[in-house]
Amino acid sequence: MPEEENSDLVSLTIDGVEVQVSEDSTVIEAAEKAGVVVPHYCYHPGIPTRPAQCRVCLVEVEGQDKLQPSCKLPVQDGMEVHTDSDDAELARKSVIEFLLVNHPLDCPICDAAGQCMLQDYAFETGQLQSRLNEEKLVMGRDRIADDILYFADRCIICTRCVRFMREVAQDDSLVVAQRGDRAYIDTFPDEDLDNPFQGNIVDVCPVGALVHEDYLFKARAWDMDKTPSICPGCSNGCNVTLDTKENQIVRLKPRYNGEVNSYWMCDYGRKHLVMGNRGVRTEVPLVRQGGELEPMDWSDALAAVGERLGGIEGGSAVVSPDACNESLHYFRRLLDTLGVPADAGSYRVEQGEEHTLPGFPKLTLREDRAANGTGADLFGFRRVESWPEPEPGAPLFVLQETLREAPESYAEDASFFLYLGSHLSPAARRADAVLPVTTFAEMAGTFTNHEGRVQRFQKALQPPGIARPAWMVLSGLLARSGDGSPVLDAADAFGEMTDERPEMAVLNWGRVGLKGQTLDSGAGAEAGAGAR
Amino acid sequence: MPGNVKVVQRPNETSSYVRAALKGMKVTMKHLLDPHTVTQQYPDEKWELSPRMRGTHRMATHEDGRAKCVACGLCPTVCPVNCIKLIPAEDENGERYAAVYEIDEFRCIFCGYCQEVCPVEAIHLGAHYENSEYTRERWVYDLERLCEQDHPFTALWDPADPRSQ
Repeated sequence: MPEEENSDLVSLTIDGVEVQVSEDSTVIEAAEKAGVVVPHYCYHPGIPTRPAQCRVCLVEVEGQDKLQPSCKLPVQDGMEVHTDSDDAELARKSVIEFLLVNHPLDCPICDAAGQCMLQDYAFETGQLQSRLNEEKLVMGRDRIADDILYFADRCIICTRCVRFMREVAQDDSLVVAQRGDRAYIDTFPDEDLDNPFQGNIVDVCPVGALVHEDYLFKARAWDMDKTPSICPGCSNGCNVTLDTKENQIVRLKPRYNGEVNSYWMCDYGRKHLVMGNRGVRTEVPLVRQGGELEPMDWSDALAAVGERLGGIEGGSAVVSPDACNESLHYFRRLLDTLGVPADAGSYRVEQGEEHTLPGFPKLTLREDRAANGTGADLFGFRRVESWPEPEPGAPLFVLQETLREAPESYAEDASFFLYLGSHLSPAARRADAVLPVTTFAEMAGTFTNHEGRVQRFQKALQPPGIARPAWMVLSGLLARSGDGSPVLDAADAFGEMTDERPEMAVLNWGRVGLKGQTLDSGAGAEAGAGAR
Repeated sequence: MPGNVKVVQRPNETSSYVRAALKGMKVTMKHLLDPHTVTQQYPDEKWELSPRMRGTHRMATHEDGRAKCVACGLCPTVCPVNCIKLIPAEDENGERYAAVYEIDEFRCIFCGYCQEVCPVEAIHLGAHYENSEYTRERWVYDLERLCEQDHPFTALWDPADPRSQ
């Protein structure tokens, strides 16, 4: 989708609706602006070339004898376009009939059913009976990457996948082999697709020809709830949609954000989150009494922890770079209240190899494999390679860091060990109090990405047991000692944070919206589309 | 007295029962000589069911005994009372099949939507009514049990007149 640049505007009429678009756009983009849906397969706004080969987007333009492919046709001033004229509709219907000649029509067992453009447009044309008397061509299926299957029969050779790999990922390993009705997508002999961004070819496929093996037969498109979120895999902060079913994350899909990830995301991010479904979760508050961790309800646990915190002065803290801004804010406030020195808080970020998507360099799988390292920096936590051994006999406070890689004897001698976390690792079992908190998928909040863009994520899953968001737990603890009142809503937590932090004063919950807002933006400069 | 209420005028003095008793005897005698039964001798004699009677489910099978179900998920989607549980999986040939398929016949309202929506004509209601069980759990039919049923399939419409659907 072209951004509104400084080029001149031209006005044209599409199905009687007059629109003004920049002169370097095409008719299909103008139609989108006019609110007219032109069916299309080979055209994808994120892929530069427009081969106009699917022929589904043909429209009638007044003054031109032949129908024109709207995805490739540049706009002209005063153009009059009809997408619903008899000729255009007949052409579309005929093209779709041809696409269905060899299509197996196996929608009942196809994972794309319900989100398939061929299904949608074929249904729209209203032709319920096939006129084909011949046998259909059967080609079977193929594995074109570790985790991607290709169903050649379903493929309509729109070449979106080939062009994505060639032009956006800049990797020539996917080709169209053979010709005519025998054409299929393939890699070179003895070579598999091996690219950190190859998962996107499944997203761009308008039909069910390319399928992720992880998702194969897992769920139907209409079974899933979709929640806008942020990928927690690295510090790039790609906008994603979490597809959930029965309180489990089934898959991640990229969500368009022209400033962060365009239409794409990396494979690491896709796979990373499925791990969130596993592991031993903390479900109820546990407070150590007489040597044993005793389960309690929230009010008893907060009272018991508050009592223990009363006699504490100083200590050290460890936070996870996966904690959201709001939780870090209240954690910092709690540490300040307890007199923990400002430099005694640390966080550690797992490192990995960096991969950049050549066609959209802003989308890079960053070395920092955590969502909110920048946020931890902002709240004054110190970045370390490995956590310093806490001072023997001093208190230790841990926020959401699982301590899975901590040494065996970590925090053995702490005088008081408070653990707020979602998973119970061996080190965490030594805590004097374990307060169960939610993962990012089970709560609302914000992350700050590597370039200081604050982005919101929403609650997609129900938390296990009585776990609560960390900001809710911490504000409750603070309120117990007379510092503010408990915060029950992410927007309120965000509001308190931006009020108290001058460097975050430009942020506004509504303006952060679904597209994010950068910390260095002047008020309103980065207005997120569709503030909510 | 409202509208159409019929008021029977009864004699105030006592009347003889003999006439009424004789009238009753007459009916008894008539039936003794000309017996016509309406009672069905149920366990010995079964009901004759309409081919469109919608009773408990039955799964159609292939010749080798496999269920015809391809686990498309349309029946749990269309089911108005959510009585069908389906978990699809991939078999050794890479085909989609139902790893778990359960119908809670207690919850079912026998609307027949599942049969109507099935793209491979696998799940059917059956013309069948004898369903007593000793436990409630037995009312959840799993795939094996659905395949074992041998009562006739329900005809949701007249096969001679396909337009009737």
